[in-house]
Amino acid sequence: MKSKRFEVLDARPVNQDGFVSEWPEVGLIAMDGPNDPKPSLRIENGRIVELDGKPEAEFDMLDSFIATYGINLEKAEEVNAMDSVELAHMLCDINVPRHVLIPLTTAMTPAKAAEVVSQMSVLEMMSAVTKMRARKTPANQCHVTNLADNPVQIAADAAEAALRGFAEEETTVGIVRYAPFNALAILVGAQVGRPGILTQCAVEEATELQLGMRGLTAYAETVSVYGTEAVFMDGDDTPWSKAFLASCYASRGLKMRFTSGTGSEVQMGFAEGMSMLYLESRCLFVTKAAGSQGTQNGSVSCVGVPAAVPQGVRAMLAENLIAIMLDLECASSNDQTFTHSDLRRVARSLMQFVPGTDFICSGYSSTPNYDNMFAGSNWDAEDYDDWVILQRDLHVDGGLVPVLEEDVVAVRRKAARAIQAAFKELGLPEITDVEVEAATYAHGSKDMPARNVVEDLKAAEDMMKREVTGLDVAKALSKGGFDDVSEAVFNLLKRRAAGDYLHTSAIFDRDFNVDSAVNNPNDYAGPKSGYQISEAKWEILKTIRQAVSPESI
Amino acid sequence: MDQATIKRLVEEVVRELAAQPAAADTATVSKPARGGVTNMTPTTAGNLTISETGDAARGTDPKEVVIALSPAFSTKIHETIIGIPHAAVLKEICAGIEEEGLKYRFVRMYKTADVGFVAHEAAKLSGSGIGIGIQSRGTTVIHQKDLPPLSNVELFSQSPLIDEATFRAIGKNAAKYAKGENPTPVPIRNDQMARPKYQAIAALLHNKETTLVDSSKKPQGLQISFA
Amino acid sequence: MDQEQLIRQIMAEVMKNLGNADQVSFEKKPAPAASGKIGVAEYPLAEKSPHLVTTDSGVKLNDLTFEKMKSGQIGPKDFRISSETLELQAQVADDSGRGPLARNMRRAAELVAVPDERLLAIYNALRPYRSTKAELYDIAAELEGTYGATVSAGFVRQAADVYEARGRLRAD
Repeated sequence: MKSKRFEVLDARPVNQDGFVSEWPEVGLIAMDGPNDPKPSLRIENGRIVELDGKPEAEFDMLDSFIATYGINLEKAEEVNAMDSVELAHMLCDINVPRHVLIPLTTAMTPAKAAEVVSQMSVLEMMSAVTKMRARKTPANQCHVTNLADNPVQIAADAAEAALRGFAEEETTVGIVRYAPFNALAILVGAQVGRPGILTQCAVEEATELQLGMRGLTAYAETVSVYGTEAVFMDGDDTPWSKAFLASCYASRGLKMRFTSGTGSEVQMGFAEGMSMLYLESRCLFVTKAAGSQGTQNGSVSCVGVPAAVPQGVRAMLAENLIAIMLDLECASSNDQTFTHSDLRRVARSLMQFVPGTDFICSGYSSTPNYDNMFAGSNWDAEDYDDWVILQRDLHVDGGLVPVLEEDVVAVRRKAARAIQAAFKELGLPEITDVEVEAATYAHGSKDMPARNVVEDLKAAEDMMKREVTGLDVAKALSKGGFDDVSEAVFNLLKRRAAGDYLHTSAIFDRDFNVDSAVNNPNDYAGPKSGYQISEAKWEILKTIRQAVSPESI
Repeated sequence: MDQATIKRLVEEVVRELAAQPAAADTATVSKPARGGVTNMTPTTAGNLTISETGDAARGTDPKEVVIALSPAFSTKIHETIIGIPHAAVLKEICAGIEEEGLKYRFVRMYKTADVGFVAHEAAKLSGSGIGIGIQSRGTTVIHQKDLPPLSNVELFSQSPLIDEATFRAIGKNAAKYAKGENPTPVPIRNDQMARPKYQAIAALLHNKETTLVDSSKKPQGLQISFA
Repeated sequence: MDQEQLIRQIMAEVMKNLGNADQVSFEKKPAPAASGKIGVAEYPLAEKSPHLVTTDSGVKLNDLTFEKMKSGQIGPKDFRISSETLELQAQVADDSGRGPLARNMRRAAELVAVPDERLLAIYNALRPYRSTKAELYDIAAELEGTYGATVSAGFVRQAADVYEARGRLRAD
């Protein structure tokens, strides 16, 4: 006979999730893998001749790259000789400041960094993240996509997301050939919502670079690196090509961060028997070595893999912490779906939400999840109220603000009108008033009329052939009667010429003042230090439309 | 002078007190280490007969679409992640191509199990320049030879969402691209709960697949008969 | 005495009272000369030191105005970052303790002159199995000869050598 208790338990959302046992031989283990190398380092004549148990003669491509460019040699022998427990203590001790730790943590080997964070509980890691993250003020990033790649909806959702507080917005495509339209729509929509928002379009590396060069995007993130050489090859890159790509972006004044995460190597079948966290540590050292200002990490699109094995969620926080220890901007994932359980998804996100990171989510879905073309996010548009109420409950600035319906409707309408005007002036297929109206009030693509996809794809291809640039977009907006939006696009382009936002953790405010780890470094040193929510900000965060005021009764 | 200015100046002055070192560069070159190692046993048997016919040739017939299979397809793994038999998968794709009056040719890839590269290799071998790549778990890409390997014409990345009708539509659209037409892409499906349910299992399947990767082996022509 | 000077003097006194500022000067440092190094104090350049920024076409940052854009007096080329600006940003990165980022900015400074299409092609050539060793060495020679990109050229040669050792060159 079946237990009634187990019948109920079996029907719970969490039991829809896939769980697997550890399989260390192929690297299906979150951290502390039995085959992970023990940390070691030997320097001769100013060069690393042994790294994590391997002599130079046995270095693979990643070892060579990390040994050449990725380790602060000055402190390397000192820190690698230190006790890992002692280093873990220092990381969560409020009396040891960030600027003392960074020269040490950037001098560790990949295995040492993994070993140090393995000594810490999630609570200790969270306190370390609070102290060690690069930019003082936390922020958030969203996804803006839809199932139909509908540009009017993208513009409206991008504008709403900007109003709600996201500092960066990312789109991607269902159909690759739509990429130029998606990039254009998110650029225009975001600047309508709030000038200074950075936008990107995640597509194949070379295409993404091209969109950036044309001024249709403001930054890039899909610059993926992997923790074993075999997977790097399947990712169609090498540490050298990726580092060159990083320089290509900087040479055009474009912000860029790398992407990696636990689970990708075992997901792609070549983990070489190493744990997910150790391999991610290698990725982060490659990222640092390449001169990237930052990373998006925290398993990201492979989250279903670590989440299925023991202490996978702990490993994701640990990998964020290693990124932060390397003085990298950290967009800390919390993006892609990994569970059917609301309890699990909140618990996973508290690890970054409470301490705050440069971008708590590297892709909060600004649409309902059915429209999320990153295959679903851990948070979506239907959770907007939950997120702002969690901020209010815990007195935490999670990067979003409560908004009013009339403001959202107004900004969506303006964005839809702006993209309509831009399309018209740029000679792209018509956006009708019916579409503008639909996008103004839409929740998702099910509320949008269908577009002529074949015609759109042809026009998108033609737009790239005609070499339409960001400047053309600014001019089109001005001609179409949207001078303010035009000026915001213009300012984005102008700021690229100055290069200030190439620095670690850089974002812009609405007046295009840069806020980065250089001019707003994290100086946390215990209670009442570091980032504190101002009175004015708290007034905004606590004022939610649902609250009943005493005066009203 | 306001407070902000004073604060800024004080900050500037304090920063002027600090100076920073920089690390040195040295170059190293190294030798190969070992590759990935896995070991698992095969599962369900399929009803396909597949024989290899030697190195696959580059086609010249503009009316062909090349279908490239990943290393474990119907050798170690015999159905997709949602249990569609591989025989049914291939039948549907072939039917889709035939409906458009075009021909198909099968090859198997050993160099890689990555679906993007598998599909790109198919496109490069195809007389029409259009190829289809399929992984054992069902992930499928339509590719064109002049695109970057990890770009695509159409990508069906969520293997749990690909049913028989979708496989037929993929074959049909690939044939249309081969004819130089510009078809409406097969509607993309999206299920945000596919990853929580299937991703770890997909990882298990892919690790089986990669045990068969042989980086020195050229694509092999295949003779396939449906039992 | 202007207010800034006053503050600097006050700070010097404060620090002296704390007893640890004997060798520290709070004199205002002169604006960096073309040959001098800048640092965190000059950052953000667009806000604090726009006079130091000239775009690749020779336009001063503050001469990039919305009105000029609308009237068509400035085009896309006028918005391109210059190698000089990237060098300044590299100095800021050095000053903020970020050596690898500074190194990337200096490689980038060399690549400003390389046209978009050529840059994309070189990136693609550096991807695995795309090029022979000789082809990569030719690219390095081109970077050095045509664009004076000596650091990037060395980087490409290093890649070629590693690819050869690891079997990642194109096998014809």
